[in-house]
Order: sequence, then C-alpha cells, then structure tokens
Amino acid sequence: MHDVVIRVRGLRMAYGPIQVLKGVDLDLRRGEVFTLLGPNGAGKTTLVEILEGFRTGWSGEVEVLGENPARAGDAWRARLGVVMQSWRDHPRWRARDLLAHVAAHYEKPRDVDELLATLGLTEAARNRVGVLSGGQRRRLDVALGIVGRPDVLFLDEPTTGFDPEARREFHLLIERLAGDEGLTVLLTTHDLAEAERLSGRIAVLVAGRVVTCGSPAELARAVQAPSLVRWEDGELETADPSGVAWDLHRRYGGPVPGLEIRRPTLEESYLDLIDETRETATVGGTR
Amino acid sequence: MNATTLGLRRGWTEQLNLWSDRKELLNALVGTVGTYVVLVLFIGDDNVPGAPVSMAAFMTPGFLAFAVFSTGLMGLPMLIAADREEGTLMRARTLPRGIRVYLTGRAVSTLLTIALNAALVLLVAVPLAGVTAPATPARWFTLAWVLVLGTLAVVPLGAMIGSLVSGPKAAAAMLALPSMLLMLVSGVMFPLEALPGLVRGIAQFFPLYWQGLGLRAAFLPDSVLATELGHSWPLGRAAAVLGAWAVGGMVLAPWLLRRVRGR
Repeated sequence: MHDVVIRVRGLRMAYGPIQVLKGVDLDLRRGEVFTLLGPNGAGKTTLVEILEGFRTGWSGEVEVLGENPARAGDAWRARLGVVMQSWRDHPRWRARDLLAHVAAHYEKPRDVDELLATLGLTEAARNRVGVLSGGQRRRLDVALGIVGRPDVLFLDEPTTGFDPEARREFHLLIERLAGDEGLTVLLTTHDLAEAERLSGRIAVLVAGRVVTCGSPAELARAVQAPSLVRWEDGELETADPSGVAWDLHRRYGGPVPGLEIRRPTLEESYLDLIDETRETATVGGTR
Repeated sequence: MNATTLGLRRGWTEQLNLWSDRKELLNALVGTVGTYVVLVLFIGDDNVPGAPVSMAAFMTPGFLAFAVFSTGLMGLPMLIAADREEGTLMRARTLPRGIRVYLTGRAVSTLLTIALNAALVLLVAVPLAGVTAPATPARWFTLAWVLVLGTLAVVPLGAMIGSLVSGPKAAAAMLALPSMLLMLVSGVMFPLEALPGLVRGIAQFFPLYWQGLGLRAAFLPDSVLATELGHSWPLGRAAAVLGAWAVGGMVLAPWLLRRVRGR
C-alpha cells in the first residue's frame, strides 16, 4: 500500500526488565492527522521517539516513509518534522536567525518571513529565543518543525501554553497542511478536545498496548461509556439510550416530558477506557 | 547549502550571540588576558637559566598553547554539555546533517574564541613581556599551522568529553584537575628539562606539549634551543602528533555524538 506513511507491527521495547511497548500495531495514511492518546507512562514518548529514529534496541517491524528509522539517513530525516515537548534550545539566538538557520538545512524550505507571519511571530522575530513567552516559544517550535516542508510531522503536546485564539489558528494551519499538502501528522496530546477537533483517527495507548483505534465517534462507541437519559420523573445511565427512550414513550403513551439524552463525551469514553484497562491489568496481575 | 558552509555560518552566529552578551565577553577576556598579566607580573623579568630570554617571554607561547588547549578541552565540553541540557544538541539531531553542522559550528566558534584570545594575549605580551612578533615568514607560517592544528587536535576530543558528561558543572569538575596536571608536565610554563624522564615521556603523548613547542619555535629565537629536549625544534613530529589527535578525534566524535541519548 503506497499510501501508508507509517507502518508498525508487533513493536516491542524494554528498558531493562521493564516492558514499555508490548506489541504495538499502527498504520498512518498520507494526509492523515492521527492522535496518540494515553496516560503518562503509557509509552507514547518512547513510541514516537522510535518512529523519529532516536531510539534503538526495539524489536518488531517499523517503517516510516518506507525506511527503518533506526537506519535511515539524512535524505529521510529531511522529510520529517519534529516538534518536541518543552524545548529550551538556542536561548541566545534571535528567533528569525534560528528559523533561517534551520531552514538552510533543507532543499526547498518555506519562506521564513511568511512562516513567521503565519504563526504570528513577526513582531517577535528580532527577539532572543530565551525571552519569548511560552506561547511564542511553542509557535516558534512549530515553525521550526514545518519550515523544511516535511512529509511527516510529529507534534508532541503542541498547543500547551497557547491562548484560545492561537490554538484555533494553529488548528487551522494543521488542517490546511494536512489537506492541501498531504502532510501526515502524528499528534500526541492530553487535550481531548484538540484530538477530537483535529484528528481523523485516535489511538489510545495504555500500558504499552494500543487498546483501541478509530475515529472519535468509533472510539466513543467502542468503549460504550453509558449515556445518560433524563426526564421529568427520573434519570438512568444506560448503554442503550434509544431502547430506554422507546420504553419511556410506551410507558407515557406519547411524548416523554423533559426527555434529554446525553451521549458520553470523548473524554468520558477515554477515562472509562483507561479505568477498564487498568482493572483488567490488575485482575490479570493477581491471578 | 552544504554542511560545511552551514556550519561556518552557524559558528559565526553562535559567536556573535555570545559576544553580544557583555557578561560572557568580559568573563572570557578577564579570564584569559587577566590570568596572563598576573602571571607575567608574578614571574618578573629574570632570564631563563642558560638562555638569553626572559621567563615571561619564554612562558608566553606556553600560555597561548594552554589557552588553546583549555578552550578546546574545557570551554568546549562545558558549552556542549550546556547545549545538551538546553536541547540544542537534540534539535541538531532532528535536522538532516544536523550533527555535522552543529560540530562544525562549535569548531568555528572555538576557533574564533582562540583567535581572539591569542590576539589579545599577544597585544599585551609585546609591551609587557618583551615578546617580539615571529621573525621570519617561515615562523609566521609555523604560528598559523600550529594554532590551527592544535585547535583541531583538541576540538573533537572536547566534543567527545562534552557528550559524555552529564552537565556543564560535571564537565568542569572532571576536567579541572587533569588539565592542570597536564599543564604542569607539558613544559608550557617552565623548561621541561627539570622533570624526570617518565613524566616527560607521558607529556609527549599529549597535544599540549607539541603545541607549546610549536609556538615557542614561532616566537623564540634559536638561542633558547639549549632549554629544549634534544636541542632542536622537531616540527615534523609536532605536526604528526597534533595531526594524529585531530584525525582520531574527528573520526570518533561524530560517531559518539550520534549515540547521545539525553536531551
């Protein structure tokens, strides 16, 4: 399949006796925004760093842009964009100097000033990187990640420290890059609203395994966190809200006064899923 | 743009950024030139036993050699360790040819630091220690290649050390004592003849001795040869030893840096 940009099969990784990844499978398609969700310590960072080619010592099959990240060279690296969490590098450089320097590593970089303008950094361009505000610093990181026109972009918690407007701008930019230029994005985030807004598909990684993978709606369905059905005389948590509503209709012999059905949000589904997985793991552990 | 050009530019920008920080600049100047002035005043203008040259003039090339040596083997590892702590090294790893560009840049900025220090020390040395500029074009040439080769001999090594230590403080703690010892046994401050043969043998394994020798050959008259081991300037051997350190380091350092895990 030529459209698969990242392909992972049976990926395992251990730090000493501790298994961090226990057989991960993933497929990312061209132009897709894919979110990796999971609690701290689930192995997200390790997984992403393996894909970026910064970790060796894993086993399984991993292909990013058709190559094994552990062995790929500079031509491959030039097609990757990386935005890591909480970067503090190059504090003495001026923002524009750093962006221009990074751009010069690539064959056909984006226009530096245009990119600064797109990310709202024109006024900060002459400032030293070390004195930028948290949000400006983060936007500069994003600019540094996409200045080389990558085919794959890794985003780790990209919008931490953004105000709502900057966040919306950023989401529009990512959507545009994925839609128009076929950029494939692997996003790691704790922000479920962001995941729901941006991504076609979401994978949930818990304790080194992908426990579910699909669209936000599929994720919610797969987990089946209970929906809440509420009406004038009572309320009920149920996995089958439609059935309950039908029963109520029959009981009332017509419209149900004050009927309200609330489906679980992605966040509820997600938290439910993590709890469930943890319980299973605990039961498995005591056996 | 090719990696070397990019690295040259990187080093230049890096150094301008550093020099525009007034505190850093002052530190660098007072650190090197200040130490030199104190040393010269302390030593006074007695002549070296058996040679028509003052102790201060004799010590000046050695001091220069040590300045190069410590910029490469102490200053550079501390900068690299700091770069790693800040994530600058990690950023380089995310870029195509990034490590090569980064290392070239660091080599360039180290070279610029050394050039500035050397120029300032010599500027002070002429009036203060009675040092004269190299007497012939051949000696100017010796000065140039010894400085460059001596820098190249320690920069990759410094880069390796910087990639191994956990942080700038650890680098300083680890390097201070060994480099002081090496300075004492390498004959940069006083003629090596005073030391036992084993120590002289060890000193001749390291680049500092050969750099000091090369710089003395550039600055001092042949009348001081009485104080040199073997009473000659074995510049061919100096070039060979410095070159071997440079090449060995350049092969090992990128390989090692690529394996650095920490951010």
